[in-house]
Amino acid sequence: MASMRFSIYRYDPDRDEKPYMKDYELTGLAPDMMLLDALLRIKAQDESLSFRRSCGEGVCGSDAVNINGRNGLACITPLGTLKEPVTVRPLPGLPVIRDLVVDMTPFYRQYRAVKPYLIVKDPVPEVEFRQSPAQRDRLDGLYECILCACCSTACPSFWWNPDKFLGPAALLQACRFLADSRDQAGEERLDALEDAYRLFRCHTIMNCVDACPKHLNPTEAIGRIKQMMTKQFI
Amino acid sequence: MSRRAAGLRAWLLQRISAVYLALFVVYYLLAGEAGGGYAAWRAWLAQPLPLLAMALFFIAVGIHAWVGMRDVIVDYVHHAGLRLLLLSIVGLVLLASLVWVFLALAEVSR
Repeated sequence: MASMRFSIYRYDPDRDEKPYMKDYELTGLAPDMMLLDALLRIKAQDESLSFRRSCGEGVCGSDAVNINGRNGLACITPLGTLKEPVTVRPLPGLPVIRDLVVDMTPFYRQYRAVKPYLIVKDPVPEVEFRQSPAQRDRLDGLYECILCACCSTACPSFWWNPDKFLGPAALLQACRFLADSRDQAGEERLDALEDAYRLFRCHTIMNCVDACPKHLNPTEAIGRIKQMMTKQFI
Repeated sequence: MSRRAAGLRAWLLQRISAVYLALFVVYYLLAGEAGGGYAAWRAWLAQPLPLLAMALFFIAVGIHAWVGMRDVIVDYVHHAGLRLLLLSIVGLVLLASLVWVFLALAEVSR
């Protein structure tokens, strides 16, 4: 690939009446370069382009965008895997602040709602909390989430009810603390998830699993929560 | 667990009714005299077990359809009045259909 074409979503609410797609062409790219490298080169050409980025290693989750219709992290998406023109849009379902930068407030609000921290009622031990290797293993596939919002913003249920349905990312974290042997608020956590919306708007569409750049499985986590809830209920 | 169990109960009912629907379809295809003509089918349905299974089948259909339609309406229809109207229509149609089915089953079982 000598040159590559890009079509990037542009919107500056101060200047533009409505969003539009702007085309760019870059030369001197290699297939193993990441989309983030291309975005940085485009920004060098056109410094008015805005996007978030930080670590560039798929660890911080800042540069989640919609790439050719699929959510993913620009920094770990090789250019060689993408069809031209590469269409880059902001994450769907969240308000756009500018260009590829979205307002993550609705997403974080749902994350906070699941109380993503250990709740301990007994006196806190003087030494560290102890866990057996088996207890620790139960957190695998749950704790790795980087809160990039790829999953929740790919979820139709989250699009329709972002204020009421918690979304896959928050539910994965709910499962993470329900599964933690040190947490003592399991019953309250389950009660807090029990209504028609917060958990049960999930219809196992599994877009979240498809979108997750860390290859986690929020749908399975949601299934685990439903199982725990059923056990508590019957 | 909360008193209402609005989410969990609906989900459980959907799952349980789905299992029954699948089992009944297998039972009906194997034992239901489906290819034997109307008279054989009617004689089959006049027995207590097939009649009960058939009645339960339609109850399960009603429950399953209610939960599913309610899910669709709750997802997409956010206006409270319109939602109430649509839910009422779905509920009434399902209830009326069930009454009709039971009248038919009562007729067949005679």
